[in-house]
Amino acid sequence: MPQVFNFPTLVAALDACHGWTDKGFSFLDRDQKDQFFSFEQLRSEAMRRSAHFRSHGLKQGDRIAMVIPDGEDFVPTFLGAVWAGLVPVPLYPPLSLGKLDSYLDTMVSILVRAKPTHLVTMGKLQQVLWSGLAKVPSLKGVITTEELKTPAPEGLSQDAAVVKEDDVCFLQFTSGSTSTPKGVAVTHGNLRANAWAIMRDGLETDTEVDRGVSWLPLYHDMGLIGFVIAPIFHRVQVTFIPTMTFVRKPTLWMETINRTRATITFAPNFAYALTVKRTKPEQLASWDLSCMRHFGCGAEPINPTTMRAFVDTFAKAKLKPTTLLPCYGMAEATLAISFIGVDETLSTDVIDADAYQQHRRADPVSVEKLTGGKAQEFVCCGKTFPNHEVAVFDDLGKRLGDRHVGELCVRGPSVASGYYLDPEATERTFGGGWLKTGDYGYLVNGNVYITGRKKDLIIINGRNYDPQRIEWLVDDLPEVRKGSTVAFSRPGAGSEELIVVLEGRTQNPEALKELVRGVVTEQTQLIAADVVVCPVGSLPKTSSGKLQRAKTRQQYLDGTVGQEGNRSLGSNGEKLVVARHVARSLIGRAQHRAKRVVEHTLEIRSVSGALEKLRLAGNYAQKRVSSLLG
Amino acid sequence: MATVNVTQLFAQAALEVNGKKLENLTQNTVISKLGLDSVAVMELVSFFEEKLNIRMPDEELAKVQTLGDLGGLVKRLVPAGTEVTF
Repeated sequence: MPQVFNFPTLVAALDACHGWTDKGFSFLDRDQKDQFFSFEQLRSEAMRRSAHFRSHGLKQGDRIAMVIPDGEDFVPTFLGAVWAGLVPVPLYPPLSLGKLDSYLDTMVSILVRAKPTHLVTMGKLQQVLWSGLAKVPSLKGVITTEELKTPAPEGLSQDAAVVKEDDVCFLQFTSGSTSTPKGVAVTHGNLRANAWAIMRDGLETDTEVDRGVSWLPLYHDMGLIGFVIAPIFHRVQVTFIPTMTFVRKPTLWMETINRTRATITFAPNFAYALTVKRTKPEQLASWDLSCMRHFGCGAEPINPTTMRAFVDTFAKAKLKPTTLLPCYGMAEATLAISFIGVDETLSTDVIDADAYQQHRRADPVSVEKLTGGKAQEFVCCGKTFPNHEVAVFDDLGKRLGDRHVGELCVRGPSVASGYYLDPEATERTFGGGWLKTGDYGYLVNGNVYITGRKKDLIIINGRNYDPQRIEWLVDDLPEVRKGSTVAFSRPGAGSEELIVVLEGRTQNPEALKELVRGVVTEQTQLIAADVVVCPVGSLPKTSSGKLQRAKTRQQYLDGTVGQEGNRSLGSNGEKLVVARHVARSLIGRAQHRAKRVVEHTLEIRSVSGALEKLRLAGNYAQKRVSSLLG
Repeated sequence: MATVNVTQLFAQAALEVNGKKLENLTQNTVISKLGLDSVAVMELVSFFEEKLNIRMPDEELAKVQTLGDLGGLVKRLVPAGTEVTF
């Protein structure tokens, strides 16, 4: 029997790491060199950092924003904040090429809502972030990761804060496919329940056997809860690959699994597709993945074709098909809602297209009906965990039976308390005792099948269609950029009409449009009223690279679709964007300094000295700005 | 003295990594307009790093918009005396 761990809070779980010197987390750098932190070291790092936070006057319950790209900095900093009873707000770092404008807009809208008193970031990123930070009134200061690495300031407590199960542990901001980001308030009790559901009920982990590998970003629920928090609760070792390194070299994922003899990994559907595409035959022959127990797949719709291609390709590297673990979850339920069983493998349900589209029923039919569009196929995402319940409701709030399609709702100890400082959105989503997931789907003997997002549903002539199905069809065509097709409807003469917008690289857009119309009609019996081919990279996406359907639809209706990232300023325009941000950064920083100086002045009552500093700060900013703008 | 031609190397990278033929590249070419997705761009970065035996820090990449910017970053990372052309 594996050793079982059960701690009421993340602080308690971390405190009990005392003495665990041989197991812990390994952070790979870009040379794949390990930096190992034993669980014991993670605890002592958290303690030391808590003293740093206290030295800045941070008190229990204060929010602290985090923009930290490197895992070896992120994890101890996050834990240090939690140890001190602070509420971390992890944000994604600005590491992609360009698109700084929309990054900073999103950052500001999150921070204005989260009201942090401080932000922790690496010294080098500070310069870029300041132009946004000046717009966050609650912010009193920036703490650098460099500072947190120095010895603890003397005379400050390193004791753990006293936290209870219903205290908020951190804020998980959803990736923002809508315009206003919402911060899910995740409590210690939620984490305890979901960590137990994932590690004990779902994966049946054993501290003596299991070892995780993750390249998932740590500001995302699957990376942070799945591979940092749950493994601390249940003492599972993890090797972290930097996300950017994975993107540079996707094959590193399987290479690391092979090298570390890992047993558990999770990733979204796209990563499995990318891995199949990039892996070379000689690599497959040299890898032995028979050590793996769970290849989790979640966080975005699971395409059965992708998963089958992964199993087929990696059979040569001794992958066992039963290791594939489709799952379902969302940040509002902390992370995981359902997993398939440990001994089960990928399975799908093929249902009658007519009954589904007209009557919202999932009637099983034979697989042959799939060709010709008479049927649809959905991946089984397994059952929910003990003490949790999943149910399906129709739009009027009536609970539905098996094989009836409606909104999936969840209740249980993993469901978060709500959105931070947003009672209206909390009531809409968490009200009435059930978490309304916003996903349509159905149940068969407790097994969850997701059919699509409620808000994206296309209703044409009284029939229901999921945009994802249409998008996947178009995605498979040549000259269409994978994962960059959006299907939605617009009001038509009698009923809604189908619109398909895609990013394509083609010399002949008219021929491509015909091809799209052809495949859509053939497979769904729908007529596309309009097909728009846009330049690559021009459709709106979220921070995690998911297409924003609602925004694309709005841009289409406004007649501006396909113009994002493609404005007519030319290269000088792009340069200006950077210059403007650096300039704003400096001004923001100067203003902030000035404010601090003035605050300080009120204490020391030396107005002349403060004014001198203010003047110097202004001069400095002006000089830097003019030198940058040349 | 070694010379690095940024546009040439970029075109070679796009061809080898993505099978994509890029023409008429200049130092004013904006990378985000070349029709490469974010994963492809990072693979190109990786190609540059391997060919030139350099490391481009992630936080520097946020500021790169044009091939000229990329050249500027390369110039700072290659051994002193290496000529960077377009």
